Amino acid sequence: MNREINRRVEMDFRLSLLRWGLLLTLLLLGGAIFSFQVFRFDRYLQLAVQNRLRTLQVPAQRGRLFDTHGAPLALNVRTFDLKGYPLYLRREGVLENLEGLLGRHGIPLDADQLAEAVDRQYWAPFRAVTVVSNLTLAQVAGLVTDPDFSPQLFPYPVWRRVYPAGPLAAHVVGYVGEISREELDARRDRGYQGGDLIGKMGIEAVYEERLRGKNGEEAIEVDARGRRLRRLDYRPQEAGEDLFLTLDLGAQRLAAEMLADRRGGIVALDVATGAVRVLYSSPSFDTNPLSWGMAPGEWQAIIEAPERPMMNRTIAGAYPPASTFKAVVALAALGEKVITPNTTIFCSRTFKLGNRTFHCLRAHGTENVVEALRDSCNVFFYQVGLRTGIDLLSSWASLLGMGRPTGIDLLGEASGNVAGPEWKMARFQESWYQGDTVNYSIGQGFLLATPLQMAVVYAAIANGGYRVMPFLDESSPPPKENLHIEEAVLRPVVKGLENVVATGTGRQAGTFGVSLAGKTGTAQNYHGADHAWFVGYGPRENPRYAVAVLVEAGEKGSATAAPIGGRLLAYLIDHDGDQSR
Amino acid sequence: MTLPKKSLREILPELDGLMILAMVLLFLLGLVSIYSASQGATRMGQYYALRQTIWGGLSLAAFLVTVRIGYEEIYRWSHFVYGAVALLLLTVLLVGYSAKGAQSWINLGFFRLQPAELGKIALAVVLSRVAVVHGPHDLRGLTICLAVTAGIALPVMLQPDLGTVIVYAVMTFAALHVARAPRKYLFSLVGLALISLPLGWTFMKEYQRQRLLVFLDPYVDPLGAGYNVIQSRIAVGSGGIWGKGFLEGTQSRLHFLPESHTDFVFSVFAEEFGFAGTVVVLFLYSLLIWRILSTALATKDIRAKVMVSMVACWVWFQLFEVMAMSVGLAPVTGIPMPLFSYGGSALLSVSVGLALVQSVHVASRKSYV
Repeated sequence: MNREINRRVEMDFRLSLLRWGLLLTLLLLGGAIFSFQVFRFDRYLQLAVQNRLRTLQVPAQRGRLFDTHGAPLALNVRTFDLKGYPLYLRREGVLENLEGLLGRHGIPLDADQLAEAVDRQYWAPFRAVTVVSNLTLAQVAGLVTDPDFSPQLFPYPVWRRVYPAGPLAAHVVGYVGEISREELDARRDRGYQGGDLIGKMGIEAVYEERLRGKNGEEAIEVDARGRRLRRLDYRPQEAGEDLFLTLDLGAQRLAAEMLADRRGGIVALDVATGAVRVLYSSPSFDTNPLSWGMAPGEWQAIIEAPERPMMNRTIAGAYPPASTFKAVVALAALGEKVITPNTTIFCSRTFKLGNRTFHCLRAHGTENVVEALRDSCNVFFYQVGLRTGIDLLSSWASLLGMGRPTGIDLLGEASGNVAGPEWKMARFQESWYQGDTVNYSIGQGFLLATPLQMAVVYAAIANGGYRVMPFLDESSPPPKENLHIEEAVLRPVVKGLENVVATGTGRQAGTFGVSLAGKTGTAQNYHGADHAWFVGYGPRENPRYAVAVLVEAGEKGSATAAPIGGRLLAYLIDHDGDQSR
Repeated sequence: MTLPKKSLREILPELDGLMILAMVLLFLLGLVSIYSASQGATRMGQYYALRQTIWGGLSLAAFLVTVRIGYEEIYRWSHFVYGAVALLLLTVLLVGYSAKGAQSWINLGFFRLQPAELGKIALAVVLSRVAVVHGPHDLRGLTICLAVTAGIALPVMLQPDLGTVIVYAVMTFAALHVARAPRKYLFSLVGLALISLPLGWTFMKEYQRQRLLVFLDPYVDPLGAGYNVIQSRIAVGSGGIWGKGFLEGTQSRLHFLPESHTDFVFSVFAEEFGFAGTVVVLFLYSLLIWRILSTALATKDIRAKVMVSMVACWVWFQLFEVMAMSVGLAPVTGIPMPLFSYGGSALLSVSVGLALVQSVHVASRKSYV
């Protein structure tokens, strides 16, 4: 007990020591702050009042974009911004005078627009904002030598984005534009400020973080009139990362030429990796005016154009896959052992289901799966589809990558639709009929797919059963998934697709000197002429590339889409060795 | 010992009123400064002040719950508290959310939790108990005590959150001091810390080195780390005796002062309320620390003496660091001013820490009745 008390006495002694020690330090701290707030008050007040520090953002050079051979897709060029400090610009009459000065030099901006620009970029009165952007050297020279030009304003060299390929790669590359208020709010903690450029679409938007780089900052001391006296500090900008895309601009140009002024989309993939070589949507648009800033009227015109140029038809256009889907039905039926390669069905040109009659192009007679693919025999697939059943058909379509986004590194991908009875019930409050399965078996009805999805399906047939994830950024190929489709299941389908090009509906794809496989399709379009499809791959012996071609209102897959797909595959295969930069 | 537990209504009148008064006033002054700072810094109006008020409500609830449970009951669960916090710290290393270069947050939807703050509570509870059971009178006891600290400090060091590790070190030192560690041990530990400074330098991240260099001479890098120190000095210095008045501080309103609602909130306060305001804040903290240590002296429970003194040093060190930093007398760290700075986890954990002190106070009164 005595020991216990001794312990406590010793502890209490140390506690008192601690208590007085801590209080003493706080007293000293108070003394130190006293010396700042009372003794040195005048000096610091002086510093606070005439804070002559100004800061300027040194814009980062955005990462450049190149195609797989090193051809430029997005570059930066030097232009000039006219900058000033809100401290000065917000004074009475300053912007009105500036309006006059700019007007005399052919720059039509009124004081209200200028005021809005200043407000949008405002961060602090001493942080410079851009008053006018994109001035040429000649314009700058004219402005600064004008006797009315205020020394409170100054030209500042900046980077502007240009897209050498313009409309050719618009949907892939995308464009940059001034950050909007919503975008700014969403990225408050990532260092964005009003007036910054940000990727709005395509690769520019997806890889914004890697491309943007880091703005530098310059701190300068100014005199009482706001003129720069000296640089106090400087943090250089850090350029963004340059990206090489998998795209082949030569093949892309060919695709654009072949589509010409027709609406549609073309994709080509490396079947082994999913690397996207061609991704072209027509009509396209020029991204250059968008990134330089265009008048709201011109912008509206692009958005509201009836042919919808901003829509990327290769990934956002969902179409009935039509006969190109028959390959999926064949895989499902063979894979589930509903049919064998030797199963035959007799086609008498019509197929009756209850009181409905479904048609074929002509009476094909007795056909097995290889022949039915070659002739695109509807009756064969009506019956095989019914035997397989809607659940297995839609699960095979999903397995091969339909009905959900492929995961390509672009924004705005459509899912398409492979849904069966539950979906129809939820959507239309109607049960699923056998007739729906019949339509489904030839790729019509509720079935929808994007050209990119169909390219992924055919790449899986070509590469021995791997579902690839299409990608554009060459530095990060995503993994592919083994679907474990047996060789015996794939072989008849491959044979059928080869015969389509050799002697069947896709003959026009095979006239470009390389051996191909593929399938044509003609999708019913209730709003006008039918859409034309061709999906295929080549070369037959050792498949390297898969293409999907969709021509809106192209009428016949065999006549319109097949030659485009064939020629594009031939180009890619012929230029296969050109991997050098 | 197992007396029937008191209800909250019975406990409340027995709390230390002066301590509560100091806590509430400091929180309110902090709230006023946060409001003023965020008006200037982000034009987000009352956003930060509102969030801090919500955190204040949560902290009050945590305070009441802790007082109701009582520190003795918490001692019974101390190993679980320690284990849970250690687990949280490991989780944060693996899946945490990083901000400003350190991975120290767990995202809880609307709010983010900083387990390193909870580490201070766990350390106070567990180390005080261990230091009494295995007294640091010999090397074995000392090693055990230091191991308890290391278990929490190491994951925090890896985040890396050096500021919090220093708080742990100060708390540990206080525990050893009060638990009657021999002077030679205490001096050796201080010596060891001084010797390991150059070693620490090699382990520091670039921005941490920068902060230390800037502490020695703020004009080394006026735009980078030094900018903050210079501007903060100007803010505090230009406050004068009576200050510029509420919402009139030009330094923060014109954005010359960065991080003004967190790291430099005291600078905003000192600019607007001058030396008079500084005196009030210093007085309130002195009162708080005085009352905490009075509780330590009054209680008969020697574990509680150690724990309470650790809480006192936690509060003391953090306020001292922030106020000294605001005039460039200490290097810039991100540690918050207790009850005053913006930050929910810090407010919550310091409230629980002070609730433990209040619980000791209540228990020590009981024995005289």
